[in-house]
Amino acid sequence: MTGPPVGPQSTGAAGSEEGSVASALNDMSDGGLVVAIARYREDALAEAYRRHAGAVFALARRVLADLTAAEEVVQEVFLRLWTQPDKFDPERGSLRSYLLAQTHGRAVDLLRSDTSRRRREEREARQTAEGGYDLEHEVWDLAVAEQVKQAVAVLPAAERRAIELAYFGGHTYREVATLLGEPEGTVKSRIRAGLKRMHAALKSSDLTDTDLAWS
Amino acid sequence: MELTHHEIEELLGAYALDAVSPEEAGAVGLHLRHCPRCRTEVAEHRETAAALAYAGSPAPPQLWRRIAADLAAEDAAPPPALDLARVVSRTEMDERRRRRPPRSLPLPVAAAMAAVAAAVIAVLGVQVSHLDDRTERLAGALERQGLDQAAQAALLDQSARRIDLRSEDGAVFAEAVVRDNGDGFIVRDNLPGLGPDRTYQVWAIVGDRPVSVGVLGNDPGVAAFTMSAPGVDVLAVTAEPAGGVAVPTSDPVVSGALPVN
Repeated sequence: MTGPPVGPQSTGAAGSEEGSVASALNDMSDGGLVVAIARYREDALAEAYRRHAGAVFALARRVLADLTAAEEVVQEVFLRLWTQPDKFDPERGSLRSYLLAQTHGRAVDLLRSDTSRRRREEREARQTAEGGYDLEHEVWDLAVAEQVKQAVAVLPAAERRAIELAYFGGHTYREVATLLGEPEGTVKSRIRAGLKRMHAALKSSDLTDTDLAWS
Repeated sequence: MELTHHEIEELLGAYALDAVSPEEAGAVGLHLRHCPRCRTEVAEHRETAAALAYAGSPAPPQLWRRIAADLAAEDAAPPPALDLARVVSRTEMDERRRRRPPRSLPLPVAAAMAAVAAAVIAVLGVQVSHLDDRTERLAGALERQGLDQAAQAALLDQSARRIDLRSEDGAVFAEAVVRDNGDGFIVRDNLPGLGPDRTYQVWAIVGDRPVSVGVLGNDPGVAAFTMSAPGVDVLAVTAEPAGGVAVPTSDPVVSGALPVN
């Protein structure tokens, strides 16, 4: 068993050989890492966990608002990477965005099957109506990178709110429309337009995908 | 669920955030299989969303320990490899040895060991092919990434010519982009998949003479071809035996005229 992957130093108590294997993994691209995982290299999975599990965990916790359920989602997502590494398609984006998309999909599934959903919606609708939703602090705290904050700042409030309710709240665009009392088509367009706007802002701020992939 | 291309496009943002109904998700998913442009857009939305989630402290180490423990569990672990050799227990071997002179390997043990060896080889065979499957598809995908990027570049190239290829009844289509240097790409299509012994082939029609410009495989997606011949009026795609043919053997599945430059 590989040790808990909290850092490069923790990988091996011992010999220089083990150390060089660990540092080789450290330098490996995410794509290379997944190929190593496909070859049943557990240390490669550990390295993928070290790189991305923080974000995966944070997203699951934010969407589910439940520590135990979030941990289960993290576990599921990394086990799936182990058993089905070929599901990751490098043509469709970075490993990080793949893992986060998996996480989000799974978290939202759990949320939508949850019987407490209605209560949650009512609570959020109330908060939204009362303006008790602190967008800046409560929700976008996750976006720690300065460039990401700047990209978020370019969004008109309506787009930001639609994206926030859909992504972090786990709502469908129809639910978002109901929550905000706006037409479905408008919300759908705002989500898309907002994502495009942020993408452009991130691109111009030189924050490449590679930078994002490494926390 | 039947949606127009425009309706699908409108859904892409919400789709990338899992904010659509299951029916809509199904319709978009189906569309993405044949539309690299929409696929690229969804990938970009997901990267953007990933940037929002960019964060946080490292995940708790105890969670990794749970995952690592799960890896050791039966269903998640790789198939046991050479450990299988232990199936012949030592006590059994010792037992048999005691009963027989140790000089030559007792027949039942030899038979048992041969059986185990066969089992090990069988398991290894399965494991190796499974492993090849896991790694080769990934390696292939990493290579194809270059193709997608080249096709995207062609799509963004203002001077590239776009050709709309359609079947006679208009139901089947393919969209091609040809750059000035002759690099051509099928960027979007709904060509039905062919059997493993068939392939799609692209033809440039010069006057009334078809010149092969590329073999696309049996389920194109994004595919590249090279158009070096000048004076091409029409592009056509036919279904041919795998490997391609020198002269088309069937009527075009789709065809389209090149816009005048």
